[in-house]
Amino acid sequence: MTEPLHEVRLRVNGTPHQVRVPARRLLSDCLRHDLGLTGTHVGCEHGVCGACTVLLDGAPVRSCLLFAVGVDGQEVTTVEGCRAPGGGLGPVQQAFVDCHGLQCGFCTPGFVTTITAYLRANPDPDAAAARAAIGGNLCRCTGYQNIVASVLRAAEILRAGNQVRP
Amino acid sequence: MTAARIFGEPIPRREDPRLVSGAGRYTDDIDATALAVAFVRSPSAHASIVDIDVSGALDVPGLHAVYTYEDLTGRLAEPLPLLIPHPALTAPRTAYPLARDVVRHVGEPVVMVVAADRYAAEDACDRIEVTYRALPPVVGLAAAVRAEHAVHADVPDNVAAHLVQEVGDAPAAIAAALYRLRLDLTIERSASMPLEGRGVHARWDEVDRSLRVYSSTQTSTSLRFALAAKLELPVDRVEVVTPDVGGGFGVKIVHPWPEELLVPWAAIRLGRPVTWIEDRREHFVSSAHERGQAHEVEVGFDGEGRILGLSVRFQHDNGAYTPYGIIVPVITSTQLLGPYKPGAYRVEFTSLYTNTVQVTPYRGAGRPQGVFVMERTLDAIADHCGLSRVDVRERNFITPDEMPYDHHMTFQDGRPLVYDSGDYPALLAKLKKLVDWDAFPALREQARARGRRVGIGLACYVEGTGVGPYEGAHVRVETSGAVVVSTGLTTQGQGHETVFAQIAAQELGVSLEDVTVVTGDTRRFAYAVGTFASRAAVMSGNAVALAARKVRGKALRIAADALEADPGDLDISAGVVRVKGSPGAEIPLRTVAVLANPLRYAFDAEAQRATQFAVGGGTDTPPVAEDDEPGLEATDYYSPIRSTFASGMHAAVVETDPDTAEITILRYAVVHDCGTLINPRIVEGQIHGGVAQGVGGALYERIEYDEHGQLVNASFMDFLMPYASEVPHIETDHQQTPSPLNPLGIKGAGEAGVIPVAAALASAIEDAEGLTGTGVRITDMPIGPARLWELRARWADEDSGRDGR
Amino acid sequence: MKLTGEAMLRGGVPAVYQALHDPAVLVATIPGCERLERVGPDEYHLVVSAGVGAIRGSYAGQVRLTDTGAPHAFLLSASGTGVPGTVAADVAVRLADGPDGTTTLTYDADADVGGMIGGVGQRMLAGVARRTAQEFFTAVDAVLTGTPAPAAPAAAGGNPDGATPTVYTRASTVAGTNGLPAGFLAGALAGAGIALAGALVGGWLSGRRHGRRGR
Repeated sequence: MTEPLHEVRLRVNGTPHQVRVPARRLLSDCLRHDLGLTGTHVGCEHGVCGACTVLLDGAPVRSCLLFAVGVDGQEVTTVEGCRAPGGGLGPVQQAFVDCHGLQCGFCTPGFVTTITAYLRANPDPDAAAARAAIGGNLCRCTGYQNIVASVLRAAEILRAGNQVRP
Repeated sequence: MTAARIFGEPIPRREDPRLVSGAGRYTDDIDATALAVAFVRSPSAHASIVDIDVSGALDVPGLHAVYTYEDLTGRLAEPLPLLIPHPALTAPRTAYPLARDVVRHVGEPVVMVVAADRYAAEDACDRIEVTYRALPPVVGLAAAVRAEHAVHADVPDNVAAHLVQEVGDAPAAIAAALYRLRLDLTIERSASMPLEGRGVHARWDEVDRSLRVYSSTQTSTSLRFALAAKLELPVDRVEVVTPDVGGGFGVKIVHPWPEELLVPWAAIRLGRPVTWIEDRREHFVSSAHERGQAHEVEVGFDGEGRILGLSVRFQHDNGAYTPYGIIVPVITSTQLLGPYKPGAYRVEFTSLYTNTVQVTPYRGAGRPQGVFVMERTLDAIADHCGLSRVDVRERNFITPDEMPYDHHMTFQDGRPLVYDSGDYPALLAKLKKLVDWDAFPALREQARARGRRVGIGLACYVEGTGVGPYEGAHVRVETSGAVVVSTGLTTQGQGHETVFAQIAAQELGVSLEDVTVVTGDTRRFAYAVGTFASRAAVMSGNAVALAARKVRGKALRIAADALEADPGDLDISAGVVRVKGSPGAEIPLRTVAVLANPLRYAFDAEAQRATQFAVGGGTDTPPVAEDDEPGLEATDYYSPIRSTFASGMHAAVVETDPDTAEITILRYAVVHDCGTLINPRIVEGQIHGGVAQGVGGALYERIEYDEHGQLVNASFMDFLMPYASEVPHIETDHQQTPSPLNPLGIKGAGEAGVIPVAAALASAIEDAEGLTGTGVRITDMPIGPARLWELRARWADEDSGRDGR
Repeated sequence: MKLTGEAMLRGGVPAVYQALHDPAVLVATIPGCERLERVGPDEYHLVVSAGVGAIRGSYAGQVRLTDTGAPHAFLLSASGTGVPGTVAADVAVRLADGPDGTTTLTYDADADVGGMIGGVGQRMLAGVARRTAQEFFTAVDAVLTGTPAPAAPAAAGGNPDGATPTVYTRASTVAGTNGLPAGFLAGALAGAGIALAGALVGGWLSGRRHGRRGR
C-alpha cells in the first residue's frame, strides 16, 4: 500500500538535486524536508499568504500549491538563493535589514523572492508601484510600511551596483 | 559614558541577517526526521462521542500510534489547567487534552495519530471513524443568554462569570444629569492569526532521562512547569526552548495546549522525537479567538459634554472553555476609562459559554472593545451637544497635574488602577497638528462640493503595560569579552535580541556587537512569566539594566583593585575600564572577567595575561569573599509596584464611495507615548503592525460561525486579513513621559497600534457619511462596504428628509 | 487489555481442536510465524515476524496449551519478547457446535503489553489484535476445508530417530494460508493469544520499557 515514488530532478539555487518523492509531495515540503532548505515557510497551505513563494524559472509561484513532481527539470530559487554570491546578504535581504522590513521573519522569505523577481522586471518603482508589487503577500507583524520602504531601498542598492543572482 | 549612544538609537536589528537569508529556525525547521502528528478533530459543535473506530487506519504505511482519551493516565487525564482564576469566575471550565465523551466546538481534538510523516498521519486520520450523537449547539451571545441549551451540562445558564465594578453611584449620576444617551455597541470576533501557527517538537533523552520541548510559545517557563506537573516529571528534568517564533499576538500565551502536552507524552512513550505543526485550518478551529462582545452604554453628561456618570453592561462570548480566565472582559472593564475621569462609573459584564473556539487574549486583549465603547460614547456626546469631538475629549481628560490618578478600581494585575504618568492634552495637540485636524472641515466641504465623501475621526486610549509579577535577567562577561545576556521571557518578532543588547551595551559600556541575547530558554533562565500585555521591554528591559548595573559595579570594584584606583574614578567604554583622566591606566573588561574567577588553572592567553594584576587580599582572606561569587556576572529581577500606563491617540481620514460604499483610508496618524524609547524604529514597527491589525479588525476581519456552530470562514480565503493595499501609510509622532515606576522610564508599546483603530475609523466613517447632527451612529464593527451600503439604505429609510450636512 | 471475539470454522469440533493443537498447522497459520519448535507436550517456542504497514519486527515467544475440557475448551498461554516490546496473554478458547457441521470458536483474552508496543494506544493495539486474529482464523479455516496441499513442512532436525519433528518452519513458497497438507489437525492455538502476541510485538518501534495497563 506504499505510494510509488517518482524521480524528480531539479536545480535549486543553482545546485542540481535528485529526489524520489510520492506524487502528492508538495514542492514546499520537498524543499523544506527533503532538501533541508527550511528558509521557505508555510503559512496557510492554500496559496493565500505567500510565505511559501519561490521562483520557478525566475517567476514567483506558491510552492504550497505545486507538487514536486510537477517541477521536474526546472530551476527553483528560494530565499537562500537570494544571498550574495559570496554568501552575504543579497540586495533585497540587505534592504530589509536597513529598513526594519521584518519582525518575526516568517513571511519574509516569500517577500524576498517576490521582490527579487519584481525588481528584475521593474528596477525603478515608485512607492505606489512598490506597494502594489507586494500586494499578494501577507504580513501580520509589520503593517507593510517598512516592506514598501525595503522594496525602494533594494532598488536603490541594485542601482548602486550590487547584483542579483539569477 | 563617552561611548556612542546605543540606548535610544534606531539600530538595525541583530536578528535580521539570519532571518532574511532563510537561516531562521522555527519549530518545523528543527528536525525533519521526527515523527509527525495529526489529529482527528470534531466536525461538530456539540456532540457526544459514541464510538471511535480506528481499524481503517491500521493499514496506513508509516503509522506509529493512535491515542484517545482512554490512553491518558494520571494528571494528563485531568482537565487542562485554569491559568488565571478569579473570584467572579464562578463556573470555570477547561478541556481535556483529548475529548472525553463530549466535544464542545468544531475542532476539538478527539484522536491523536503519530506517523512517519504528516501525509501518513493525515491519511490515518481520514480513515478513523468517530461516531457522534449530535447535541444542540449554543452559538452566539443571544443563544447563550436564552440558555435553552447548555454548553456544559452543569452550567445550565451558560454563565461562566459575572462581575460588577463601580466607583461612585453611576445610575444616580446619570439620572441627575442634564443629558442622557444610550448606545448599543458590538464588536465581532476576530483572531490573532500569526503567520506561523502553533508547533511543538519534543525529544526524550534516555541517557539523561530528561525531556526537551521546543514550542512556538509566548511562555517557555510556564510551559515547563505545566509539563512537569502534567507528565509527572521533576522540573529539573524538563527543558522548554522557544525557537524562532513566527508571531504570537496573544494566542500563543495560552498554555499548555493539548498538543503541548500530548506531543512530549508521545515522544516519551514512543522513544522517538515527535513534531506537531498545525495547518492553517487547525489554527482556525482549535487555537483561540477574541473580541466578540456586546455592550449597552448609558451615559449622563452636562451641557459642556462632561461625563457625570457612565454605566456599561456587556456580554462577553468566551467560547467553550475558559483556560485563561476572564482577563479580556476585566481589561475591557478597566481600560474603557481611557484618559478620562467620568465621575461615577459602573461596569458590569457577563461572560458566557458558547459552542465555539475558546476566547483568550489577542493583541489589545479587551482594550479595543473598551476604547470603542468610550470613544463612540464621546462622539455621541459631542454630536448631542453640538460640540467638537476634540473639545469634548479635552474636557474629560485627566490632566498632568492630576497624576498619579487613582481610579479606585482593580486592574488586571490585581493591583490598584492608578495612572502613573501621561500628558493627554499635549498628546492631543500633537495629533491635531500631525493630521491637520483644524484644516479638515474646509477640505471636507471642498470634497463634498466635488461629490466626494471624506471624513476625519479620532480615538484616544490609555494602556496599562508592564504588568508584573516580575521578569529577570542574567548578564555575564566572558573572558573573551563577549557579554551574554539571558532573560526568561520569549520573542515573537519584537527585536529582543537587539533592544536588550542595546540596554546591556549601554549600561556596561561595551559595543553592541559584543552582546548576545538569549530569550525564552529555560536552560538559560528559569524564572519568568512570559511575553504578553506589552510587558517585555518594561519588565525584561529593566531587569537587564539592573543586572548589567550589578555587573558594572562588580567590574569597577575588581578593576579598581587591579588599577589601584578608586571605583569612582573609573569609567567603562568600548569594553575597557579606564581611570578617568589617566591615559594608559586601563584594563579590558575581559581581563576583569578573568580576575573575577580565581581559578588555579590558566586556560588561555587572557588568563595568563591576568596574572600581571594581583588582586584580592592577602593570605588572611579567602579568594572568594563571603558575600561574593566567582565570575563577572549577575542576576537581577524587576518587579513593579503596579502597571505603568502608556497612552496614545489616532486620527484617520477616510473616503467612502457614494455608490459602492467602499471605504478607503486616506491618512492615518498616530501619536503615542510609551515613555523612554529603547529603539525608536522597533517601536514604530510595533505601531505599524498594530494599526494593520486594527484596520483588519475594523474593516475586514470577522470570525463567522453559522447557527450550527460551523466556522464557515476557516481559511485565509474567507477570513480577510489586510494586504499592503489595505493598510494605509502611517504617520507617527512620539511623546515621552517617562514612567516613574521603573529605572529606565519605559512603558510598553506592543499592543498600542491596534487599540483605538476601530473607534477612530468608525468616527471617520460617520463623519464622511455626514451623520453629524443626525443622531445616527456606527455602532458595530467590523464595517465593510456591504454593511455600509446596507446601513445607508436603513438610514435613508429612517430619515427620508435627512439634511445632507 | 481484554479482548474477546469469535469465529466460525468449517469443521467439526474435534477436527478444529486437533488442528489448533497441530504444530504443522500452527506454523502455517499464525500470521508471520516463521518457526515453531516443540519443547514439550503442547509447548512450543516460536519465532514470529509481524507488523503493521511499514513497521515490521521479529520476536521470540513461548506458547503453552492446556486442556481445560477437551475438545470444547482449552487455555492458551503465550508470551513473547522482541525489540518492540513484550506480550503476555492468557486466552480461554471455547469450541461449540455450529450450524451445518461448523464450529463456533469464542476466545477471551487477557493480555499484558509492555515496552514500546504498549505505547501505541489501546484502540490501535486492539485493532491490530483483532485483525491478526481474523487472519489467523481465516488461515485455519482454509486448512480445514482442504486447500491445495503444499509440500510437507520442513523438519529441521532435533529428533535423531526421525519420528515426530520438533521444529516446524513455514515452507518458503508459502506466503499465507495455502500449502498445508490437509489433515494436519492438531494443536491448540493461541487464537487471539499467539496471533495477538505476534502481531503486537512484531514491528513496533523500539524504545523503552513502559509497563502499563490499559484504562
